[in-house]
Amino acid sequence: MSAAIAATMPRAQHRASLRKRLGRVGFSAAVLVLAAIVLLPCIIIVLTAFKPVAEVNAHPPTLAPHHWTLDNFRAIFSDLPFKRLFLNSFLFAGGVTLFALIFDALAAYALARLDFRGNRLLLVVIVASLMIPFQATLIPVYQLVAHLGWVNSIQGMIAPRAADAFGIFFLRQFFISLPRDLDNAARIDGASEFRVFWNIVLPNAMPALLTLGIFTFINNWNDLLWPLVFITDPKLATVTSGLTMLTGPSGIVPFGTMMAGSLVAVAPLAVIFLIVQRRFVESIATTGIK
Amino acid sequence: MKKVMLPLAVAASAVLALSACSGSGSDNTSAAGGDGASKHVSLTFWHGYTEADGKVLDQIVDDFNKSQDQVTITDVTKTWADIGDTLLTSLSAKTGPDLVALPAENLPIYASKGAFQKLDDFYDSDETKGASLNEQAVSMEKVDGSYYGVPTGFVPLSVIYNKKLFAAAGISAFPTTWDEWVADAKKLTKDADGDGTPEQYGLALPDHATVGNGVWPSLFYGGGGGLVDDSGHSVIDSDANVKTLTYWADAVRKDHISPTGLDGVKSDGLFSSGKAAMEIGGPWMAGVAADNKIDYGIAGVPGGSAGPAASAIGISAGVTVQADADQKAAAEKFFAYFFSQDVATKWSLGSGWPPLRTDIPASAVSSNPVVKALTGIAGTARPLLPGVANSVDVLAAVDEATQKALTGGDPAELLKAASATASQALSE
Amino acid sequence: MLPALVILGAFVFWPMLAALRLSFTESSGFGPSRWVGLANYSTIFHDPKILKTLGITAMYAVMFTPTAIIVALLFALVLTNKALIGRGAFRTALFLPFIVSMAVAAFAWSYLLDPQLGLLNYWLSNVGIHLGNVLQDPRLALPTVVVVAVWKSFGFYMVVFIAGLQQIPEDLYEAARIDGAGRWRRFVYVTVPQLSTTFAFVVVFATIAALQAFDQIYVMTGGGPYRHTQTVVAEIYSQGFKKLDLGLASAISYVLLLITLVLSLVQFRFFGRHEKDVVG
Repeated sequence: MSAAIAATMPRAQHRASLRKRLGRVGFSAAVLVLAAIVLLPCIIIVLTAFKPVAEVNAHPPTLAPHHWTLDNFRAIFSDLPFKRLFLNSFLFAGGVTLFALIFDALAAYALARLDFRGNRLLLVVIVASLMIPFQATLIPVYQLVAHLGWVNSIQGMIAPRAADAFGIFFLRQFFISLPRDLDNAARIDGASEFRVFWNIVLPNAMPALLTLGIFTFINNWNDLLWPLVFITDPKLATVTSGLTMLTGPSGIVPFGTMMAGSLVAVAPLAVIFLIVQRRFVESIATTGIK
Repeated sequence: MKKVMLPLAVAASAVLALSACSGSGSDNTSAAGGDGASKHVSLTFWHGYTEADGKVLDQIVDDFNKSQDQVTITDVTKTWADIGDTLLTSLSAKTGPDLVALPAENLPIYASKGAFQKLDDFYDSDETKGASLNEQAVSMEKVDGSYYGVPTGFVPLSVIYNKKLFAAAGISAFPTTWDEWVADAKKLTKDADGDGTPEQYGLALPDHATVGNGVWPSLFYGGGGGLVDDSGHSVIDSDANVKTLTYWADAVRKDHISPTGLDGVKSDGLFSSGKAAMEIGGPWMAGVAADNKIDYGIAGVPGGSAGPAASAIGISAGVTVQADADQKAAAEKFFAYFFSQDVATKWSLGSGWPPLRTDIPASAVSSNPVVKALTGIAGTARPLLPGVANSVDVLAAVDEATQKALTGGDPAELLKAASATASQALSE
Repeated sequence: MLPALVILGAFVFWPMLAALRLSFTESSGFGPSRWVGLANYSTIFHDPKILKTLGITAMYAVMFTPTAIIVALLFALVLTNKALIGRGAFRTALFLPFIVSMAVAAFAWSYLLDPQLGLLNYWLSNVGIHLGNVLQDPRLALPTVVVVAVWKSFGFYMVVFIAGLQQIPEDLYEAARIDGAGRWRRFVYVTVPQLSTTFAFVVVFATIAALQAFDQIYVMTGGGPYRHTQTVVAEIYSQGFKKLDLGLASAISYVLLLITLVLSLVQFRFFGRHEKDVVG
């Protein structure tokens, strides 16, 4: 809006801006309603977590609890070793994220910058590996981990995930979009390939690494079958796999307790995303997949 | 360096492939002891007893470990679903359990694929012969003429009912025939707002994935039919079954005594929320009802033209292929202990399931009213598809027929199709 | 670079080769395995039940991919509109379904949709609509599962679109505006072409995800009612882990891999000039 016009037509401008402001509020309110509908299942998770058992199955069903209670939260902390589950989840998801970022970045850099024979083929094979269901490769992977003696260990859970095809593809797209002049200059100065990677490329890749890190962390934190298969020692269970222990005989799920557990389980992820939300979007924008 | 990236990756996988292949051939069983005279054997035991029954089993295992000094069993509590998801994987790398309990109908497929060891010697021993184990329960352990497991639980499906709702409807005695049963269910079905969708149902009758897959077999038995005859052929499309399915489809479709599309878990949910006055359930429903503050009663499944009969839920324990000879012997030692009179009585009382020995008198378990009630109807129990490796496909075929019939399909045609599918599965 | 390749070689490539080898055998994972050549592949093409799972997966993908992309794009457009108050909060909120684990999401949805205990049925029946038991209705079960999958994943694609939209130079819109282009024409002639790389990425990865649909089916329908939601991966799971036929399960996996690969290549070609950037 030009200042000159605003100064010469204050009245009209005022009306227009009022209309605009009302329009903004109306538009925002409409989006709010839409978001509330979309988020209804999430709202149900939260509200059910605070319902007493009798109300969870009440008829007619209700959205909000009549009597708010913390019983479900007390139950999960008394029925499950929640602190240890949390620690394990952080170790597993955090460990996978750390290693996957390092290894993915190295492999992606090689694919993006080094002209070796079979570069393209390797990339196709990496992307193709995303297309085979993990149910098909689970047994060979497990046998390998068992061969290393790593079943029932945190490294056994982490190692098979320590490089992942999606991450390599994602970072490769990012590295391709980085101007080559940056690293060529360093190469001319005689820096080794690793120095170029470590000192020039990696610092520029921080936003992409942040994004990939969050995805990796979320996916592994929420993974169910993986920790169930690799861990039979309850001491090493994660939050997500530990929650299945709430399932009763014949598969009956105590809804209130399960929702309370889920809420506690998802809280760290929500907090992390809330903090980095703005940079998260920015960083996707800078990766080649924009 | 640059030129060797791809070959290196290929080489790395090849080396690992070779080493893993050679590795999987060698025996790396974790717990085998030395060959010394006083060898100590350790066993891991997976089971899915997560409730009060699990605590009693922990106690029994603990007592067994203390009762002698050659064998130590470590039991790991998982859910039954987890065991189904992880047993194959863990056995593929010999990191699974040496001893595992699982739903009895899953035993034949694992046994036929070589996951379990034969236990014929255990059944041949005088001690086992003298234990007078429930023959029906034991029949679930037999595949192709050999025993591959022992029963850790065997119980007929029963009807659990809500006494408060029965009293409100003026019903004083539990029905014993189908006609009485449906009549009572009609009285218990309430549609106050008259919109055609009752708020309270007389019965929660699941039409697929029923508890222990046994609801429809129970009804078929009650109507004089069954699933498979003695020679292993499908009799799913028998006239008796057509009559039974027609009878119950009518009751659901015309009288709305039960919602459609329920599975076993949903039925449990309806009963425990007081929205269904009755359901056919497993013994654990007593505990679930108590947790939900429902005043419940337990009764046998009423009989149709052929009198009362019920499909049984069985749990079996098997010794896996990864156990060595010593571990197998140790497992059998535990089984013998488990079936001894005192322990069998204790297990029955603690788990809420009827005793596995037929020589334990009802009076010995009368302190647990649930066990007492279930023991009273134990004679009606029939094993479900014993020895049928491909039970999954047979039961899926039955589920399709029942689910379609309850939403308006023709029972005779549906059962015919189901029987054809089942016959194919049985011949594989 | 070597460590990454060792890990990929060991835990990605080798298991793929092992699965390929398994697909030519009859194997249960523990007992002995027997070489059967192409028998498993022949089974796939002669078993109408398995072939039907391919059809169901195709239906699933046809419903899921466009829906997820359209919903994600619409939300991305709304959330990048400068008129919206509290854009950051909305972004976080609408990303929430992606953060929740599939098991939990499925529980919440099942609870919402339950015909007897659920809120949605109760609310709708108050206004005279009887939804019935959607997850057990052979016609509605698959669409319902697709709705849940779209709900669960649109947040991810939405964020990708937001990132793409923010990269479009404002002066392109300005120029279009000066040329007298309305909202719709600006969208068609500026936004869509500028987002073509984003579309390529989102379409390919949404399709791959759709063809691998399993989690929500495992938790919500178990493949039912009578196999109407039995996708290929659900079938791979039941053949491998329930019927202990790893050979057949692996063979189906490779058929799926081939189909996906061909489809992805076609999609990249369709998105024309960008194919080089991606796999070319």
